[in-house]
Amino acid sequence: MADIIQRGTTRAVPRSAFRFFPQFKLYQLASPAILVVLLVLWEVGVRVWNVPVYVLPAPSKIFQALANGLSFHDFWGDQRFYVHIAATLSEAMLGFVVGVLAGVAFGGSISQTPVLESIIKPYIMGFQSLPKVAVAPLIVIWFGFGIGSKIVLVALLVFFPIMINSLAGFKSVEPELHELMRSLSASRWQVFRTVQIPSALPYIFAGLEMAVVYSFIGAVVGEFVGGTKGLGVQVVQMTAAMDVSGMFAALIILAAMGAIASKLLQLLRSRVLYWAPSEQNRKK
Amino acid sequence: MGANLIEVGRLEKYFQSYDGADVHALADINFRIDEGEFITVVGPSGCGKTTLLRVLAGLISKSSGTVNLAGHEINGPSRDIGIVFQSPILLPWRSVFENVMLPIEILKLDRAQYHKRALELIEMVGLQDFADKLPSELSGGMQQRAAIARALVHNPRILLMDEPFGALDALTREQMNMELQRIWAESGKTVFLITHSIPEAVFLGDRVMVMTNRPGKVDRIIDVGIPRPRPLDSMGTARFGEVATQIRALFEQKGYID
Repeated sequence: MADIIQRGTTRAVPRSAFRFFPQFKLYQLASPAILVVLLVLWEVGVRVWNVPVYVLPAPSKIFQALANGLSFHDFWGDQRFYVHIAATLSEAMLGFVVGVLAGVAFGGSISQTPVLESIIKPYIMGFQSLPKVAVAPLIVIWFGFGIGSKIVLVALLVFFPIMINSLAGFKSVEPELHELMRSLSASRWQVFRTVQIPSALPYIFAGLEMAVVYSFIGAVVGEFVGGTKGLGVQVVQMTAAMDVSGMFAALIILAAMGAIASKLLQLLRSRVLYWAPSEQNRKK
Repeated sequence: MGANLIEVGRLEKYFQSYDGADVHALADINFRIDEGEFITVVGPSGCGKTTLLRVLAGLISKSSGTVNLAGHEINGPSRDIGIVFQSPILLPWRSVFENVMLPIEILKLDRAQYHKRALELIEMVGLQDFADKLPSELSGGMQQRAAIARALVHNPRILLMDEPFGALDALTREQMNMELQRIWAESGKTVFLITHSIPEAVFLGDRVMVMTNRPGKVDRIIDVGIPRPRPLDSMGTARFGEVATQIRALFEQKGYID
């Protein structure tokens, strides 16, 4: 259906402005155009009003800092971003994996025992209302300034949305489907494996999308509190040196890392959840 | 018709309600179903039709009385039973074929041995071109056909159907009634079908069991006696009207129809 309608509209428009890209629409230029306009205004404004570089650097200065930080010269040097990207990325990824595995395992096991769920629920609620980044200093005391404390913090942040979502997912099976499985004398393990796990996947993926964001937050906050490597550490050091251009460059890299991670997750999602209504809507 | 497949005698079922009082769900239910027979059950909502089906399926226990399947007491779920619910409840991540194979997998039967049977059943319900499609690519009626194939794949002796076409539109429903009659004739299975539609009950049933509520009991079992195969326009015959009127009169007496 969608295809037919789309084809219909392109045919209705007599001639595209871009002969070589018939699918291209003028409005698709709007987003990048806005960015260019804003950058130009920013650059001009900073120069006209002589804004000091330690308050708001011009885009050209930020670009310079970015190019300098990403230069291949002295690749693993402290002045380059690479060593910090590697540190932050490994903290975020390891913490993500630990938090997701623990969250799914925990959510899965308490979904199987309603009694356990009702016992544990108040504690979960209590922990959830706690802003977990506030625990970061404590975690650094316990686990040190190395990668360990960051992994723990990230895992803690990731754990809750994953656990809550997977618990809801494992319980989302329709009662009639449970009846059907019971009429076939299915074992608990069979029900869990053939029905509950796939049913939980859309919920778990919704949790993963949150978890990706949280994992970078956790890694950076952990580095703020205490660390020797990582983009968070670099931002703190640049603050001390009033290197605001460098800070902007680090922020751009963090944003890019987050965006790439989310995109990868989306690709995985569309492969795993090919059957889910949400995916079929996205395709349309 | 063959021997008695199902024997229900003096069946009673009580539920404990929320305030602790006993609810008399089924009272003194007595009936037999012959092997190969098509029995339909019609009654107002809350008359215990579904409770009765769940007892037959071994999903809930009876309070007292006898419920036998082929001479053995029904104490729990059994391989001899296939169930179709009101919604098709297909697994959305599996193809039609893999959905039909679900009971084989759960019952740990030999996949290779049932592969051909599953395909034959898919063909019998008219889904041969859709075996590899996902349920979301099928219409509601087609999904319910897949559910019927799934209920038959492990070769149960009786097919229990709980308002299987209740969620379908009227046209699809009539078409499904025709299809089900054909599937029943081809498969030779015994069918126990619950419905709230009097025409559906009369059209499909060899006998119609009329249930009334509070407590739920079998008011009457009516022999339909319309020759098979019944075309859709058998609904216009005098005998059809007679049976339908008889059932309506029973409900009217009880005050279900004003």
